[in-house]
Amino acid sequence: MDMFLYLDNDTFLHRLDPRTKMLVMLASFVVALMFYSLPTLLGLTLVIVLYGMAGKTLGNLKRIRFILLMIALFSVVLWSLTYGGPTKILGPISTEGILYGIVIGMKFDIMIISGMIFLSSTKVEEISLGLVKLRLPYRGAFAFATAIRMVPMIVATSFTIAQAQKSRGLDLDSGNLLERAKKYVPLLIPTIISVIRGTNVFAMALESKGFGYSEDRTNYLQISIKKGDYAILFLALIVITVSTYFKFVVI
Amino acid sequence: MSENIIELKNLSFRYKDQKEGKALSDVNLTIDKGEFVLVMGPSGAGKSTMAKCLNGLVPRFNRGEYEGETIVNGNIAKDTNVSTMAKEIGLVFQDFESQLFSTNTKLEIAFGPENFQVPRDEIHKRILEMFELVDLKGMENRQPSTLSGGEKQRLAIGSVLSTYPKIVCMDEPTTDLDPLGKIGIFNIASKLHADEDFTLIIIEHETEESLNADRLILMQEGKILRDGKPRDVLREIEVMDNLGIMSLQIPKYFKEKFGVEKADLPLTPEEGVEQFTALGCAFDEQQYKQLLDADAKREESYGEELIHVEGLEHVYSNGNKALNGMDFSVRDGEFVAILGHNGSGKTTMVKHFNGLLTPTAGKVTVKGFDTTSTSIFEIGKHVGYVFQNPDHQIFSDTVYEEIAFSPKIRGCSEEEIDIRVKEALASVGMSGFEEEDPFSMTKGQRQRIAVASVLSARPEVIILDEPTTGLDYKEQKQMMDLVKKLNQQGHTIIMITHTMWVVSEYAHKVAVIKDGKMMMYGKTRDVFSKDEELAKSFLKTPHIVNMSNRLGQTILSVDELKRCTKEG
Repeated sequence: MDMFLYLDNDTFLHRLDPRTKMLVMLASFVVALMFYSLPTLLGLTLVIVLYGMAGKTLGNLKRIRFILLMIALFSVVLWSLTYGGPTKILGPISTEGILYGIVIGMKFDIMIISGMIFLSSTKVEEISLGLVKLRLPYRGAFAFATAIRMVPMIVATSFTIAQAQKSRGLDLDSGNLLERAKKYVPLLIPTIISVIRGTNVFAMALESKGFGYSEDRTNYLQISIKKGDYAILFLALIVITVSTYFKFVVI
Repeated sequence: MSENIIELKNLSFRYKDQKEGKALSDVNLTIDKGEFVLVMGPSGAGKSTMAKCLNGLVPRFNRGEYEGETIVNGNIAKDTNVSTMAKEIGLVFQDFESQLFSTNTKLEIAFGPENFQVPRDEIHKRILEMFELVDLKGMENRQPSTLSGGEKQRLAIGSVLSTYPKIVCMDEPTTDLDPLGKIGIFNIASKLHADEDFTLIIIEHETEESLNADRLILMQEGKILRDGKPRDVLREIEVMDNLGIMSLQIPKYFKEKFGVEKADLPLTPEEGVEQFTALGCAFDEQQYKQLLDADAKREESYGEELIHVEGLEHVYSNGNKALNGMDFSVRDGEFVAILGHNGSGKTTMVKHFNGLLTPTAGKVTVKGFDTTSTSIFEIGKHVGYVFQNPDHQIFSDTVYEEIAFSPKIRGCSEEEIDIRVKEALASVGMSGFEEEDPFSMTKGQRQRIAVASVLSARPEVIILDEPTTGLDYKEQKQMMDLVKKLNQQGHTIIMITHTMWVVSEYAHKVAVIKDGKMMMYGKTRDVFSKDEELAKSFLKTPHIVNMSNRLGQTILSVDELKRCTKEG
């Protein structure tokens, strides 16, 4: 089972410099966090999805559609029950509450989708190289990239472990919330142990390949800001500036 | 003219958290430039510790009391950074999953040279060279996670060789690999050995592959026990038997049967056949017939059909077709070994037997229950599954709780649980360990605890996925004697394995799987008589079986051959 997020295609999006893609992600976060208007967020979603389509990354979004849906649902239920508002529909539920729930859910989903597109179209090496070019020390950038890479490994391990425990009779699907939480202990401990054992070898292998030999290193991978990058960077900057202007000056 | 490239002087080491003894005690060793050295020994003999001393991981990464000196190509290892030592010596580990960390195979190989600021053009040249050397051409842009185990390990070797070290040390590189993967590693080893300046050190369990090395070192309890030419060391059957590593079967047979002098002991099946004929020996047909009769009688003694598989196909959600129409059946009391290379579909198949997977097409029934309509909880009462890595299932603080987990979850009473835990522990020979912490045990012990924790559910069928992987010979033998005992007590055994001697000495029946299809199936003796057909599935019979096949009959163990020999 393939647990890795990066999709190895050769598209416009993949060829963009990682720094450009980071700025685009930042721009989407800025807009998503600043505005509460449904049309704006819908517009933003459309732009992001089109942007993702350019990199053929939507397949990955399918994989997390359940999570996206759950976040949206959870937000709608939570806010419609707690928001209050004048136009009551049933009990504490109001139109305003439902709308607010939708808006908040969308904000989260937009950020997740945007991050997902970034990770689907950018190699971890590119991310760390991009961060280095942004003056982050190499060790820090490498640690960050490693953290991203660890997630799918941990998921894959926990998958095997879940099978092993199910074979012993562990039934994860019944019982109330507390009982079910307790049932995850047999999964959690072996996962943690396996990850710790794995990282130990990982650290030794790193050092044995000369990691940290000197402050400078060559980069086999090359990144550079090209024409397309300038265009996208320019657009992203405009979006950030204009939306900040509207948020703090106009409104 | 030879020159020392590695020198260990009075080297001792004790890990910080080591309770007793020393990992290495007063080791003196010199290795010449260009030598190919094999190191063998039981678990805990200090082999890995010695390897880690060479590039300074001991004591710089694993801390402890360090005495003496390790000099590698003029560098004092303990006073040099591990990353600096990486220029001199490359280290390859057993766990190939954790050694690889790049997005594609090229970047994996580039990682080392990048650290040493090798110019980009030069890195590109080296990448091409490495793909050639480790036989991964055509996989230049693959993600490491999509490679097979053997390919991953070869990539790991390439990623170490790309910094052009003059020495490479591999710590059990083939332990987790299937037979095909092992062959790949040994091929690389012989290519490297062809370079006269290149020094190669390999820590291994496989005795049968050791004849190609220049030198064989046996270690025990942190000391060097024997050091010499493989042909000489391998003839010391008693030393190896006492040490707990597998002695070669051919010299063992000739020594025990005829008391052949050490210097004249044959080592390979070819040499064995020659000596057998020279001694004027022949098969004792009557004894051999008894073996065949015993096989046939056992075949008749099996009970009702427990697992029935018909036209089984399985397609994974990513579209991979792992099983392609399989028919199979297991009867009560059988001991079946399932062989096949990684990715052949073995594990996919057996996961159907306890309901972890359900067929895409075809049908699997367990004791008459269709697995598609029966829950895994229900099937689990009849079929227990011991996973390959015991660490994937152990989670409790004490052995008792670990083993009690299964009966507890199935609603047994306190007394019943107590009875079952005691019984399971006794079965695996670990009574008295109830209050121990499973995490502080050796891998062999943890494997036993994992078996016990499956036994406590009292299943009729026990599936074991590579129960001997990562264990040394002595532990393997203990494990297999345990499995044999369980079989004799009435449990039906289905075991996935790569270890051929285990199959020949223990399994009643063998199924060989390749590309999702059953290639061969039958009594062990029948399947193992077909050396050529097995080779098509990248399988090699153990030496003793191979020798007897050459002589015209199929014998499964040294003891059997001793019985069936008519002296000339």
